[in-house]
Amino acid sequence: MTILLTGGSANGKSTFAEKLATELPAPRCYIATMRPFGEESQRKIDRHREMRRDKGFDSVERYTDIAGAEFEQNASVLLECMCNLTANEMFDDNGNIDETAYERILAGVLSLEKRCENLIVVTNDVGSDVLGQYDDSTMRYVEILGKLNIELAKRFDVVYELVAGIPLLIKGDAL
Amino acid sequence: MILIIGGANSGKGDYAKTLGFPESEIAFNIHELVFQNPDFAPGLLESFLKNSVVTCDEVGSGVIPANRHERAAREATGRLCVLLAQKAERVVRMVAGIPITIKNCKL
Repeated sequence: MTILLTGGSANGKSTFAEKLATELPAPRCYIATMRPFGEESQRKIDRHREMRRDKGFDSVERYTDIAGAEFEQNASVLLECMCNLTANEMFDDNGNIDETAYERILAGVLSLEKRCENLIVVTNDVGSDVLGQYDDSTMRYVEILGKLNIELAKRFDVVYELVAGIPLLIKGDAL
Repeated sequence: MILIIGGANSGKGDYAKTLGFPESEIAFNIHELVFQNPDFAPGLLESFLKNSVVTCDEVGSGVIPANRHERAAREATGRLCVLLAQKAERVVRMVAGIPITIKNCKL
């Protein structure tokens, strides 16, 4: 079973993802992609760690190359999130764009899909915005993440959009 | 309480006025208060729950803002909406002036 969760920031995607994951059979693996840059990210990471506590997840930190993440073969895997992963894969420390990012990210997710029993991927709706205000590299980021969202939604069994904490079923059968 | 969310200018306010409540019982555009001071957002929950209708912009989509205050306000607005939606008897999402009920306790 493959499940994609999308929606704007702070709409309850993580909470719903963890609820779904805990209803799926163990072992459960959480793949975290957020780099602990500074105090704000660290707070966010701590908040997510606290939310996951006692829910039976093995946590793996993987900022790039998620194909290299290791977990048990029959695991239920939660990947959070495509927005951080895409930024990490796309930009180096100087902000230069790696044009092979799209293929690598997609191959990474497909590798997870192939190796686990259930896969939940959290992404974000970055395209609903006035895009003219951003520089070229941000525009390219929105484009690549948009393409990834389309490709994953096409492949995955179930897609939900989270709105004010309410899961709206976009594709597939309700879980 | 009925929570009405949606993009800016999607018809939330006009729809709120059709629900039969006096305007004194409607809290319009609560995201504006959150943006004034995101830290106070959790403390606003109880007072908003006393209204019959609450309207709020959905602000969480799009590129994550580079500005720290905007990021915090966006997060605080989203989290407040999640809490309001949990307590609301009905949640309506406006899309191009069309009300879409996404939660209804009376059903």
